[in-house]
Order: sequence, then structure tokens, then C-alpha cells
Amino acid sequence: MRTSVKKLVTAVSTSVALMGAGHAAAEIQIGIAGPMTGPVAQYGDMQFSGARMAIEQINANGGVMGEELVAVEYDDVCDPKQAVTVANSLVNDGVRFVIGHLCSSSTQPASDIYEDEGILMVTPASTSPEITERGYELVFRTIGLDSMQGPVAARYIASQSPERVAIVHDKQQYGEGIATAVRDTLKDAGVEIAMFEGITAGDKDFSSLVTKLKQADVDYVYYGGYHPELGLILRQADSAGLDARFMGPEGVGNKDINTIAGEAAEGLLVTLPPAFDQKAENQALVKAFEDKGEDPSGPFVLTSYTAVQLVAEGIEAAGSTDPFDVAAALREGTFQTPIGTVEYDQAGDMKSFEFVVYEWHSDGSKTPVN
Amino acid sequence: MQDLLYFFQQLINGLTIGSTYALIAIGYTMVYGIIGMINFAHGEIYMIGAYTALIAITGLAALGIAWLPLILIVALICAMIVSSSMGWAVERVAYRPVRGRHRLIPLISAIGMSIFLQNYVHLAQGSRNIGFPALIDGGFNFGSGDGFQMSLSYMQITIFITTLICMTALSLFISRSRTGRACRAVSQDLGMANLLGIDTNRIISATFVIGAALAAVAGLLLGMYYGSVDPLFGFIAGLKAFTAAVLGGIGSIPGAMLGGLILGVAESMTSGYLSGEYKDVISFSLLILILLFKPTGLLGKPEVEKI
Amino acid sequence: MAANNFRHALFCAIITLIISYPIIGFNLEAQGIDVTLTGADASTIVMVLLAAVIVFLFQMFREQIMGGLKSLPHPLPQSSKEPMAENRRAKIESWVLTGIVVLALFWPFFVSRGAVDLATLVLIYIMLALGLNVVVGLAGLLDLGYVAFYAVGAYTFALLSQYVGISFWLALPIGALLAALFGLVLGFPVLRLRGDYLAIVTLGFGEIIRILLNNWTTLTGGPNGIGGIPDPTLFGMEFGRRVKEEGNTSFHETFGIAYSGEHKVIFLYLIALVLAVFTALVIRRFMRMPVGRAWEALREDEIAARSLGLSRTAVKLSAFTIGAFFAGFAGTVFASKQGFISPESFVFLESAIILAIVVLGGMGSQIGVVLAAIAVTILPELAREFSEYRMLIFGAAMVLMMVWRPQGLMPMRRIHIELKRQE
Repeated sequence: MRTSVKKLVTAVSTSVALMGAGHAAAEIQIGIAGPMTGPVAQYGDMQFSGARMAIEQINANGGVMGEELVAVEYDDVCDPKQAVTVANSLVNDGVRFVIGHLCSSSTQPASDIYEDEGILMVTPASTSPEITERGYELVFRTIGLDSMQGPVAARYIASQSPERVAIVHDKQQYGEGIATAVRDTLKDAGVEIAMFEGITAGDKDFSSLVTKLKQADVDYVYYGGYHPELGLILRQADSAGLDARFMGPEGVGNKDINTIAGEAAEGLLVTLPPAFDQKAENQALVKAFEDKGEDPSGPFVLTSYTAVQLVAEGIEAAGSTDPFDVAAALREGTFQTPIGTVEYDQAGDMKSFEFVVYEWHSDGSKTPVN
Repeated sequence: MQDLLYFFQQLINGLTIGSTYALIAIGYTMVYGIIGMINFAHGEIYMIGAYTALIAITGLAALGIAWLPLILIVALICAMIVSSSMGWAVERVAYRPVRGRHRLIPLISAIGMSIFLQNYVHLAQGSRNIGFPALIDGGFNFGSGDGFQMSLSYMQITIFITTLICMTALSLFISRSRTGRACRAVSQDLGMANLLGIDTNRIISATFVIGAALAAVAGLLLGMYYGSVDPLFGFIAGLKAFTAAVLGGIGSIPGAMLGGLILGVAESMTSGYLSGEYKDVISFSLLILILLFKPTGLLGKPEVEKI
Repeated sequence: MAANNFRHALFCAIITLIISYPIIGFNLEAQGIDVTLTGADASTIVMVLLAAVIVFLFQMFREQIMGGLKSLPHPLPQSSKEPMAENRRAKIESWVLTGIVVLALFWPFFVSRGAVDLATLVLIYIMLALGLNVVVGLAGLLDLGYVAFYAVGAYTFALLSQYVGISFWLALPIGALLAALFGLVLGFPVLRLRGDYLAIVTLGFGEIIRILLNNWTTLTGGPNGIGGIPDPTLFGMEFGRRVKEEGNTSFHETFGIAYSGEHKVIFLYLIALVLAVFTALVIRRFMRMPVGRAWEALREDEIAARSLGLSRTAVKLSAFTIGAFFAGFAGTVFASKQGFISPESFVFLESAIILAIVVLGGMGSQIGVVLAAIAVTILPELAREFSEYRMLIFGAAMVLMMVWRPQGLMPMRRIHIELKRQE
């Protein structure tokens, strides 16, 4: 009891101390907002590790316009309510550049506040198209959109000329968004869609769904959602003898799916951003991560790194730390980054962001499919 | 023919899930029958059983033991011991001190316990979904080669048989053994049983222990059948099982079995013929309708409100 | 006796080990594609053993410890005294409350934006908890689906603003009334159920409403939620940097001051404050009206209350409806504060948190509920490392409160005469 009281007292006094320290230093604060705790904290880890590395390296090379970058980290637990609280404390702390948030449902309400308060936001992970659809000036991302990823998957499926395709999603913003994009592209390509159905995220029993898929006699099943549910579907489909090829977005492309689905994960198709950590020009960076004992292969590590780099280069290009000037510079310039050449359109999306179809194996490795 | 096979397949799916609901429902129904409270934390005890079984299986695998029956038995015993102890401790800490107070007090205490246990496992084991190895593979297939094939896996058969054995053993125990007789006496009139020299505290503890042990069996079976565990899956399973208990008539053991099977089939038919999105809506609606129109359930005895 | 005690203590210690060691002492970890088991570090294991030893010692010397605790002065000494005369107590209470409100009115102008925003959230929880307090604390109906009414309020505003373009001020009463109507309609069939069945049915209703919100994509946007919910305006003045709606002017231009985002945050805070005070006052009035007395009478002894001619349904329904009304209020403010809502914000856990506030504050007591709402919302913000343990502590606190002080930290007290039971 004594120690917890002590902890509380220290925590209170540090937070009080921090409140005062907000504006004092002549340095550039970079807010990093994402989940440090909660169910998707493993994705948050990727975001923080990438952004921290970029800040470290930029500072080692003399900072931005001679000023040092300072990371200020916030935990939003991927909860929309906490995200708003975090956004307000960012405003409070005088931070003018944010790397985040991770979940689209957190990014969306937070970006309202950032736009209003003149804070530049670069999200390394939120893929919901709505985020950049609202004509905001200060919202950017270093990741593709659901509406880009879906068509890539759909075009691949259509190219295999299947007879019937089923589309299943988890009724979440991310999963349903991609699934809808896949459905629309497949329809345009004239592929018969036998089923378009939602499941409940967190559910464990998919035997009825699998039976239904069997009855519909489909060749391809596209699943929009995350790995915990798809892993179970794969496994239950395998044991029920369903003979169909499964495909999913980057939310399923993670080794955890192998621990759940085991052998049944063999042959799963996944659309992923190209493996940036495999690129020859990034090897020095990959080594820097490995020297720190961190894994650069997660989908959001290098997008986060890039987000910080873009903010830094945007400041240099604009010659000012005013977020509006930086936003203008980002829209005009062309930047060489670990995720490739980045150019922005008016909405704040990258002009091109490539998704690649990979085949997943039961040992957790993946090979690109042509 | 095709449609008939499809129907039977959904029926099998439903019965499989239903029989595990029944195993969990026993815990609710026995506790309710004896002390008239909803043990909200029972779903969490089932979840802890599944986690313990997985820990035991992984540990045995690490030790290099590969003989399947041994693995299953050790996992089952570990899960039952931990779950039963948890059941005993929960009763002792959260329910015994508040027994006999206003109805809402034990219920709030139970909700608190449920939240506590969820977060206990969450903090100790993380919130990730962890894969559960499929130890029992394979099965029978029915139907023509090119059309729809109905399949009945060995795992499903194991679930049916285990449930049947547990239910029979429990019925025998309740009807024949000394403790079982005492259980029935306590559920009819706690005060009177006490006067007649039955150690009611012990009997109530025993009820919690038995319920928890059966939940652990369900935890192991469902872990293998579904394929993963996470700290939150006990809550919803607990609600479903509670629905099953109410449906069959709370306080009645055959009722729990019947209620579980009906609920399981209702769910699988909903996802089979309507849509999986509305599966939970159907089970909650069923619960509400039963409580509104026939609160005693299918096999329950009408309860006279005592003054 | 001593041997018996020892055996019991040993048994308890072993049980402690069994329930904690396997779960805490081993970690299941995904290593690549395999799940592996690793032992926890030494300090964790020492902690587990220590816990078992403490349980052993406690059970061994249980009587001495309990006796020792009894002889200690009670932590809240006034609880054993006669309650103050009601009017005197009410006077003190209302002075204290007025003081707090006046302080709360001026406070946001001196603190940071983040603090004001957090305070707004606290006020929303205060409204919710005060509303639920009527249902659970006063009328003794355990409502586990309270969050459904909160969702109705929030979605009413969001949908009306999206499709009809209604403003916050119009949506506020509509949202609250619609939530109340929901309470009335849902309450009518379920209120004849007994306490614990009622709890389960309301839990079911709460989940059904959330699932419907999630699945009815064409109307509610499903999981995508609804964005672009407008901020409240002050006589047609908007607080944003740019005016969004035609015909409105912006606050900072009207008064010729520089734009600052703080205006909006403070304005929202003040609205929430006024509404929370309104909620508290209305419910206080209700508590003194016959209907309020009837709630408590029914909670204390349903049969006695009915035999005195109280209509069970009418009394319960009134509590349910009033509780729902204020949840609708809170929902509208929440939607406006967030600017974006989705079904994620209305899960069962939210109901559990509101219930925890009511339970911790003392069922029936307004000051207690307000203090508990402040504590429950602010503590995790103050100590981030504490936030992981937040729900664990809530759960444990709910159990402990029920065991030791079911009347809450600051119970409602009235003058009463207790009939001593004849031994």
C-alpha cells in the first residue's frame, strides 16, 4: 500500500512538473499518439518503435533546422474517447506535429481537434478512406487506403477466374470497409458473389459459417478483418473439409495467425504493403533496428519512421515550423523515404501506394505471388 | 437431399456448441438452485479452465510428452483443480460474506468478481488470442463425392460423449450420494437442512466446486474445438450458458442440458439460414422472452414467493 | 482448535497457490509460429509465494486480527453517530454544493485545456451516475444495460444533425425525451421481473441495442459510426475557427478577440456543468417528492410498500424513465464533445463503469456519486501506469464494497429508528 501511494504521489508531481515544462524549450516537439496498452498494443509497439528510431537518427544528424526533435508520447488505448482526451492534452502541451493515431476510429475524432487547432497529423496506420475525405488541410498519412487495398485483392481473385466468391467481414470499420471495396470491384469484374456476410468480432464458433460456405460451394473466400477470427475460420474450415482459398488484408498478415490456425494457414493469400524491410536501400536502417533489439518487419514500423521523416523534411522545406506552411510544403514536394518516393495529393493521401499479394505459409513466412 | 444434409450439419454444429453450453450452465443452475444468486463470475471460471488446460498442454509438449491420452488427462485434471479452487475461493471471498443480504448485493459483488478475474488473466497472460492446438483431428464424412458433404469430426464426437458422461455422473451423484442428497435438501430449505445437521456451508462450497469443475471440462473441450483462447471469451459464453440455464428452468439439471441444446441449435440455425450477425440478438431475445413469459423455464418448478 | 485452525490456514494457502501460480507463474507466448511456455521471473514467483504466506498467516491468526481491527477507531467516525437533523444536514450540504459549483464555474479559466476537457468527461459521467443512481440506488432496480439509453441520446443527436441538420440545443431535449421514451417502452414489460432477472434482461437489451446500431449500416453507419457532429453554439455563434453553418457568426469575430480553441472547450465544459447541476437539482427534488419516497419504500420492502397501496409498476417505471432521461442528456453532450460516435463507445464495460461509480459512491447518495465519478475518471489519467490495473481495481473494489460497506463510501443518511431484534 505504501509503495502504491508513493507511486501515485510521484506520478502526480511529475505530471504537474510536465504541465509547466510545455513551452519552455527551443526544440520541436513531435507527439506520438497510439495504443501502448489494450488489445492492439502490439501494433502500437510498431508505431512507437519506428517513430522513436526516426527521431533518434534525425537528432544524431543535427536535428531539424538546428533544433532537436523531442518525442512526446501519448497512450490512446485505441479508444475513441481516450483519443479525444489525448488530442486535447497534445494541444495543451503545445505540440504542433503528431504521428498517429493508429486505429481509424481514434484518428477520426482526434483529427477534428488537430485540424481546428492547427496541428499537423500524419497517421502511419489508419486506412479508413473517410479520414482524408473531409477536405482537411493538416491530415496526412503514410499508408494506403482500404479503398486501394480492396481492389488489389479483388483484381487478383478475378484474375484466377473463380466460379463463386464469398466475402466475410467482422463488422468493424476496417474489415467492413475493405470487404465492401472488394465486393464492388468483383462485381464490376463480373464475378459471382455468393455471400456477403458479417460475423461478430471476438466470436469463436464459426462452424455454422463454415457449413454455409461449404453449401455455397465457393472457390474463394475473402475475409475483411483481423487475424484472431480468420485464424479460427481457417482452422474450423480445414477440419470441416471446406475446399476454398482464403484471402485477407494486412490485418491478418501476422505470425499470430499461425499459432491459431496451424497447418491450415498454408496457402492463405494476404495483401500487404511491400516488405519495406526487405528492400536493399533500407538495410542500414534494418540493422539499426536490430541493433536496438527491435523488429523492423511489422507493417507499421517503417511507415511510422517515414511519418517522422516527412514532418522533419517538411519543416526544412517550408523553412518554418508553422504546421500550415509544412502542410503546403508536403503537398508540393517529392520525398525519398524508406517506403519509397512519396508525393501527396490535395487530400493528404500518397499519390501511389502499392499493395502486393503474398502467399502465407504454415511456418509464418510469406512469398510474393505474381 | 443436399438441403437435408445441410440441415443435419447445422444441427450437429448446434448440438456440439449446445452441449458445452449445458456443461457451463450446470454451474449457474446449481448455484441458483441452492442460494438463489446468479454467479456472474462463472463464465470467467470457464475461461480460466481453458487457460490452465492450454498451459498444461504446452508444458507437457515442452517436456516432450506426446502420448495423446496422457496429455488430455493431465490437462483435464489440471484445469479441473485450478477451476474448482477458483470456484471455492470466489465463493469464500465474494459471496459467503454477503449471503442473506439484499438480493442486489451478491449480484453486484459477482459482477465485480467477474471484472476482477477477467483483468487478472488479462494482466497475467496478455490480451492476445493464443492458439490452442487441435489434438483430436479427423472425422467421418457423409454424402456424395461432388455435392455437399456432411462431416462429423472426432472432436465433435468427443464433446458429445464427454458431456453425456459428465451429465450422467452428475445426476447419479446428486440422486445417490450422501452429499448429493444433502445438496437437494439444502436447495429445498436451507434453514431446515441446517437444523437437521447438514453443514450447509460445506454443501454450498461443494456446489461451487462441482460447477467450476464442469466448466473446466467445457473449457478444455471448447479450447480444442474452437482453436484459441483470450481473456474476454468467458464473459459472453457465460451469458449464453446462463441463458441456457434460464431456458431450461433455472435450478433444474436436466433443464440445463435441454436449454443448452436448444440454444445451441437456435444459434446455429440462425447463422445457417439467416446471418451470423444476428446470432447474439437471437439468443438475447430468447432469454428476454423466456424471462418475460415463462420465468420458470421449460423444466423448472414454479417458484412461490416467500414472505 | 489450534490444529484445526492450522489445517484450515494451510488449506487456504494451498488454494491461493493453486489459483495464482499456474496463471501468473507461467506465460504463454507466441514465439514465431509456436506457442511456448516461459516461467515468470523470480520476483513474480516470490510475490505469489508471499501472497500464499500472507493468506496463511491471516487465516491462522484471523480472530486476533479481526479483533484488533475492531478495536481500532472506525475510519469514518461519524457513521456510528446519530445522523444530523435532516434540515441542518441539508443546509450544510447545499452550502457545500453551491460552493463547489461556484468554484467549478471559474476554475476552467485558470487551468489547461486538457484538464478542462477531462473535467467535461467527468461531468458526463456524473450525469450518467446520477441518473443510474435513481434506478439502482434509490429504486433498487439493477440496470445493467444503462448504456443503451446513453447510446440513444448520442445517436439521436448524431442522426438528427446528419439528416435534419438540427442544432445541439434542439437535440438536447429531443435526445433526452427519446431516451426516456425508450426507458418507458423497455421498462414496461420487464419491470415485473424480480431483481436479478431484471439485471440480466437489461443487460440483454443493452447488448441488442448495440448490435443493432452496429448492424443497421444504412441508418447508423454501422461500425463506421457518425462523424461531423456539430459543436454547441451560443446564440448562433460558433466556436470553430471557421463558421460551418450559414447564418451563424463565429464567437471570436463577434467579440473581436483572437481565436483560441480553448473557448470551445470551456464552453462545452460550462454546458456540461450546467446540465450536471440541473440533473442533480432535479433528482434532489424528486427524492423529496412522494415518488422519491415511494422508490425507496419499494427498494426496502416491496411487499410492505405494495400493501400500503403503492403501484409497483408505476413507481418502478418512473424511476426507470427518469434514469433513462438523464442518460439521454449525457449522451447528447458526449456526442457533441466527441464530434464522432460509433457503437464501440457503448459496450457493456461502460455500463459496468457507471455502476461501479454508483456502488463506490454509496447507492442513493449524490455527493458520494459525484466524488466517485471524479475519482474513477481522474485517477487513471493521473497515473498512467495505474491505468492497466484500473479495471482490476474496480472489480476488486466492487467486491470489497459489497462485503464491507454495501452502503457506499458516503451513504445517504436519514433519521430513522431501528427496531432492535429480540435475541
